[in-house]
Amino acid sequence: MDIGRFLLTSITTTALAFVVGMFYAGFRRKITARVQNRVGPPVYQNFIDVVKLWSKKSNITHGVMQHLAPLWQIATSITTLMFIPILVDSTFFVNLTFKGDLIFLLYLMVVGSLGMALGAGEGGNPNSAIGVTRGLTQMIGFEIPWVMALVALMIQHQTTTIVGLMDVQQASGTWLMFSSPFAFLAALLAMPGMFRYSPFDIVGAPAELASGPISEFGGKYLGTLMTNGSIFAFVKLVLYVDIFMGGATNLVLLVVKTFVLYMFPVLWGLVSPRFRTEQSVRFFWGWPLFFGLLGILQAAFL
Amino acid sequence: MSNLVIILAIFGWAILTYLAFKINKTLGNVFVGVLALALPAYFFTYTPSDYTVSVMGMSLQFGFTSFASLFAMLVVVLSSFALLYSIPYMNKKDRLGWFYMNFMFSVGGMMGILMSKDLVSLFIFWEIMTWSSYLIVIYQGKKVNKVGLKYMIFSAIGAYAMLMAIVLINKWSGNVNIEQFFASFPNYSSAAKLLSSLLLLTGFGVKSALMPLHVWAPGAYTKSPMSYTAVFSGALSKMGIYGMALVAVNLYVHSNMPIMGEVIAWAGAITAVLATFWAIFQNDIRKLLAYSSIGQLGYIAVGLGIGTELSVFAGLYLAILHGLFKGVLWMVVGAIEHRTGKTDFRDISGLIKKMPFTFFVALVAIIALAGMPPLSGFVGKWMLYESMITSNHFIMVLFIFLSSTAAFLYCFHFLYGLFLGQQEDEFLKDVKEVPVLMMIPMGLISLSLIAFGTFPGLIFKPIAQAMSTLGFENVTWRMSSLTNAWGNSMFLKPANFMFMAVFVFFLIIITVVNHKKTKKVGTKDIANGGEPIRDEDNLHYSVDIYRPFYRVISPIMKYKVETFYKRISKGIEEFFQFFRRIYSGNGQTYALYVVIFLTALLILSSTIF
Amino acid sequence: MVNDKESRKIVDIIQDFARKSSLFVLAYGTGCGAIEIPPTMTSRYDAERFGIRGAATPRQADVLLITGYLATKSLKRVIRAYEQMQNPKYIIGFGSCTINGGMYWDSYNTINRLDMYMPVDVYINGCMPRPEAVIAGFAKLQKLIQAGKADGWERYQNNLEFYRKNQKKIIHNWVMPDYNW
Repeated sequence: MDIGRFLLTSITTTALAFVVGMFYAGFRRKITARVQNRVGPPVYQNFIDVVKLWSKKSNITHGVMQHLAPLWQIATSITTLMFIPILVDSTFFVNLTFKGDLIFLLYLMVVGSLGMALGAGEGGNPNSAIGVTRGLTQMIGFEIPWVMALVALMIQHQTTTIVGLMDVQQASGTWLMFSSPFAFLAALLAMPGMFRYSPFDIVGAPAELASGPISEFGGKYLGTLMTNGSIFAFVKLVLYVDIFMGGATNLVLLVVKTFVLYMFPVLWGLVSPRFRTEQSVRFFWGWPLFFGLLGILQAAFL
Repeated sequence: MSNLVIILAIFGWAILTYLAFKINKTLGNVFVGVLALALPAYFFTYTPSDYTVSVMGMSLQFGFTSFASLFAMLVVVLSSFALLYSIPYMNKKDRLGWFYMNFMFSVGGMMGILMSKDLVSLFIFWEIMTWSSYLIVIYQGKKVNKVGLKYMIFSAIGAYAMLMAIVLINKWSGNVNIEQFFASFPNYSSAAKLLSSLLLLTGFGVKSALMPLHVWAPGAYTKSPMSYTAVFSGALSKMGIYGMALVAVNLYVHSNMPIMGEVIAWAGAITAVLATFWAIFQNDIRKLLAYSSIGQLGYIAVGLGIGTELSVFAGLYLAILHGLFKGVLWMVVGAIEHRTGKTDFRDISGLIKKMPFTFFVALVAIIALAGMPPLSGFVGKWMLYESMITSNHFIMVLFIFLSSTAAFLYCFHFLYGLFLGQQEDEFLKDVKEVPVLMMIPMGLISLSLIAFGTFPGLIFKPIAQAMSTLGFENVTWRMSSLTNAWGNSMFLKPANFMFMAVFVFFLIIITVVNHKKTKKVGTKDIANGGEPIRDEDNLHYSVDIYRPFYRVISPIMKYKVETFYKRISKGIEEFFQFFRRIYSGNGQTYALYVVIFLTALLILSSTIF
Repeated sequence: MVNDKESRKIVDIIQDFARKSSLFVLAYGTGCGAIEIPPTMTSRYDAERFGIRGAATPRQADVLLITGYLATKSLKRVIRAYEQMQNPKYIIGFGSCTINGGMYWDSYNTINRLDMYMPVDVYINGCMPRPEAVIAGFAKLQKLIQAGKADGWERYQNNLEFYRKNQKKIIHNWVMPDYNW
């Protein structure tokens, strides 16, 4: 592969993910405000926040791991982004799409969390450590139905790559969310946990944990984390769209599909109180697990 | 040069070392160092040749198959590193000669097991290994009698099962040669097939700590000196895997008994999940690693049990890798114990300030253990998952996924509880970085873990050769990409280099921007509602940190295999108590017995005759 | 530094615009005025329109609100929280208590003049100020930031000895870490 071309496409992809993800976060704040009968901040508010955080005149860190933690996060997000097809059969957004598969993505997506956990741990703030343990525990919860959904699709279509799953949808003309509804349900119910939106936001609850893992991060570190958050949200949404909704043929369609999908965790979160850690794990090991099992049964025997 | 000489040389050297320690500690340490350097030097340069000894009509054969030499490589590398590490680690302890002699005996025993081509010599070396490791487990004396007893009882059960299997095999096959046993196995009756293989599996399963037979492992791993535990959990438990691989693959996969392979795989999967759960709730780092070892061996058993080409490959890869990263982790625990004298999460925190090198190697080993992409653990995990998915083990894959996700919990606990968190000046005052001789082994193994992450082909070559002994000819492998049975590939180089490139790019940005005004502050300077923390306030949160998760899985955690064994032992005790009551010591009772016996005889004889 | 209007660069103007439009307020209620914060933030007055939102810890926050009287005990904690915030950072004094002690002017356990102990950027008058007044105060702060004149953090650095002397008069068992930005 031509290195210059690769640089161009990868930087374009990252910029796209950043801008779209930032606007989605802005829309989330706006929608939250409208639901609460407020006006809400402008949609571009998150850009301003990031610029402000980067223009802080002093920063503190507690050591090397805390310095590196945001980097683990953002390196993970961008590497994951490189392995996900942005558009169907696109000749431009190729990146590293054909170099990895779903198992790799599953594992890559948790690398950032562990790096962040270590960084938060080095801060020495007990709130951070409590938040991290809650986050890891919740991760066990939602990863199981999410993996079940993926395993169901993989064994049904005899492929472990995203491109393979997208080709299946292209060939049959049906989205996998309709042909494998149970797997989709399991994956969809796991989604709010992945986004850590309410009711699964006990990890960084501002009032009880002082925002948990990020409580010692400020300035440029917090700015990097916010940047990463928007990129990673886009990554997860595109992954869902690619797997279950047949991908998108152009950017407008991609934005529409991801936005519709994004509304699910956002709107659910708006009307939900907060689960305790064990309650959220029990939730994920309840109906989502059941739907995941149905999905696997459907894939194996139908 | 013959193979047997190397083993005899190790045994002889062990006794010489013992004598040397009698004379002078420095001389003894020199002897240890010489063996640590000579062992790999000899092993990696010699040419293997077969050798036969005839004893009492039985011909005992020695020589390496390519499968055995894969494990021998692990044994040699790990033992020589552990011996080097031992020299500073054991420095202040007593009875060094005794320790090193048993250490070397167990190394010799392991090499002997791998060299023997017949079951009798395998059994002999197996016992040498067991006994020498037992003597090290009880090295601390009376405190650990119970642990030693547990280890000995389970080893004895395993040994008797194996001995019985050897006798039966000798009867059915006519000799005890391993290859001929495998060749004649398809001709056995099905009962004989089941019995012989199950007995062998019990023998090997005890050493590899598979779920119902694992009870000895947490205690024994914990109580031996850490430099030996690196070998104990890293290499010695792999002898069980070595035997299990022979049995599982040669007998079950190639002889049309795949259902037994499934049994092994399920035992492995359940072991992996439960042991991981137990590891999460430990507050002693040695216990944590011991349970984690049991869980990791579960993955290997899964790989071997499924028995497809990719899964066996993954199992062997994980076996080697587990030896390497668990070796490092035990050495890290040893280093902490050496410098602070403590092994409990309650007493330790913030070691990164004083032991940054140890933290770095622990980080590398933990990432490899967790199976995260840039490092080598991911390669094994990938192959294991893909082999399970492509061979339709879709419920088992969930067990394994649950176990590896739950493993993140104790991985974080290990790194955070020991190295990160609040730095207590009082505790850290006297702590220093470990001596160079301890750094070298940890550092070199960690480097290999990093290298295998992008170029696993370096280790694929011997594994592929070993696979040919197991009946998988011409296994294809490539330097840095993986392929599953459906033809889907994973390229490691682009993935890892991309990750590193992005990481370095942002590292430069985040370090350069506002560099002058970025300050490092201590861990007492944290945002906690404005209250300044005094030096004596300990806010380190690392004990019982997974209570919420415990509440979720407490229904499972109530059941322990150990209580089951305890009930059995209690039942046996009561059973014999009953017999003891028969001998009441009262003459009249005995007279009554005589009368009853005669009456019974009378009735019987009248009915029969 | 950036006070001189002529020498300000385009970068400074952008940065000050960002600082002005995104104010993270540390949720630290010292006195009775804290009760005015919820109506300011929620649907009736909605301060988030102006980019004002809560932050959980001092590390993330830009603005510290001293909401009313400041007891001598909480002065220590407030100082600590302020010192943990990252530059540039601003203080808004709420109500008459922070200006001259208000109805507590002769109390034995509150301080009377806040700016003897901490650099205040904006005062909001009233006992207590209504949410409209609070938002007006924030608007004033935003104007100051845009003009580069909200320099309380610089005054604190430059006159640290003055502030420390006054603080130590009130806080007798002084066990605070040094402020060394």
